[in-house]
Amino acid sequence: MSARLASGLLFLALLAGWEAWCRAAAVPVLILPPPSAVAATLWGEIASGRLWPHLAVTMAEMGLGLAAGTVVGLGAGIALAESPALSRVLRPYILASQLVPKLALGPLLIIWFGFGLTPTVVVTALICFFPLMETTLTGLAGVDPARRDLFRMLGASRLQTLLRLALPTALPVILAGLRVAVVLALVGAVVGEFVAGRAGLGASIIAAQSVMDSSLIFALFVVITALGMVFYEAVRALERAVLRRYRKG
Amino acid sequence: MPTESDPGSDPAGFVAIEGVRYRYETGGPAIVDRVDWTIPHGAIHCLLGRSGCGKTTLLKLAGGLLLPGEGRVRVAGAVLRGPAPRVGFVFQTPTLLDWLSALDNVLLPLSLKRRPGAADRAAALDLLALMGLADHAARRPAALSGGQQSRVAVARALIGEPDLLLLDEPFAALDALTREELQDDLLRLCARRGTAALFVTHDIAEAVYLADRVAVMADGRITHASAVALPRPRPRGIRYDPAFGAACRALRAAMDARTAPVPTEERAAPAGPGGRAAPAGPGGRAA
Repeated sequence: MSARLASGLLFLALLAGWEAWCRAAAVPVLILPPPSAVAATLWGEIASGRLWPHLAVTMAEMGLGLAAGTVVGLGAGIALAESPALSRVLRPYILASQLVPKLALGPLLIIWFGFGLTPTVVVTALICFFPLMETTLTGLAGVDPARRDLFRMLGASRLQTLLRLALPTALPVILAGLRVAVVLALVGAVVGEFVAGRAGLGASIIAAQSVMDSSLIFALFVVITALGMVFYEAVRALERAVLRRYRKG
Repeated sequence: MPTESDPGSDPAGFVAIEGVRYRYETGGPAIVDRVDWTIPHGAIHCLLGRSGCGKTTLLKLAGGLLLPGEGRVRVAGAVLRGPAPRVGFVFQTPTLLDWLSALDNVLLPLSLKRRPGAADRAAALDLLALMGLADHAARRPAALSGGQQSRVAVARALIGEPDLLLLDEPFAALDALTREELQDDLLRLCARRGTAALFVTHDIAEAVYLADRVAVMADGRITHASAVALPRPRPRGIRYDPAFGAACRALRAAMDARTAPVPTEERAAPAGPGGRAAPAGPGGRAA
């Protein structure tokens, strides 16, 4: 509790310092708007209703990209863990797909999918896929050999061993990967919009830049940060609910 | 062959390990080297040896988790080609599934084959009650002590009503008093359905207390074998009986004797007074 209080007080102190410096040094609003100007702009965006459609678009891209990346990452992790031969063949390609800068794929994705939701969702999914696949692989490899022997002794099929031993064992690690992915999903969605978006928070930043509205850019930062925190906390809550089964009960 | 084997069973024994040799890598050393052993129906045998002598590997061979490079293992007459059915295995660690309750852990062997019914749940609760865990059925492993986890592991191995139980130093990590309680629980549960058991241990007193017959293993071979001439049921106080001490001494001598390279397989222990085989093999002379 006192840590939260200290955290909140620090936040207020930083805001106050920022505001004071902007006023005292007469910093141009274009370079660094004071918090009061940012708050006013943010309120204006909220009150006028201009913010909501953009927020909805970014959330949709983030959600769809995260979902697709999670499903594919989990599936790829399981497939590679179950088949070492497949893993040896495919891993260089998967790594290469991650080393290509996603932003550089943007122009190509626009050619393939046009402007709008799809290229951004694809970029987001590509970014989210990797931590999920890696943590799934690590988690599945971490199953205790004695427990594998137990399942063999009990005559369990490969699918049963996967579903009832390996995946539940790997779940805490996989959920940690999901936490990483949810943060990256927001980055993917916003940056994807820079390149390919017509709407959304990232596209709004580009629009604000073109009219030199620094206050609006800062206001959008606040919204993006808040959105990230909400998604992250949602995943944490999911994680806690799932992992409660692993602790004393 | 143990002269005290049960009557009317397969003369070769319920479990027959025949000339089994095993290497982890081709060309490497034989971890298990030409071992012959038989276990009659309902008998409890202990495999005694120092760490690294190959006893866990032999146990895995007996359960079909490993397949021998040479020789064969037969359970109930059938040569093993994979994990043996109707055999319960208790590992060095309890290997419980952390996300399941004690009851669901016990039911795991059944639930992998079918949806457990009311009778199965009653049987599992019965086993937990026999293990003194009636009040802990709903708890998860993290909320159980080490001894309680080991009890759940034994109950899980018994739920399928196996004919043979293979145990790999299951109580080694427990304190002495808990270990004695679990030994009694194990003997009681094996006696209930006449379950045969092969129990791996490095603890001489544990081997003498549990076993009808003890094999001493070193460097992948069985270097000594003897029957334990103590009556059943064995009260806890038997540990302070001179005969118990003598049996322990003889086994210790057999374990020490093998530093001299005489890996003679002393299979036919001479029958001692009282009808059962004598506690000590020829290794006893080193004492």
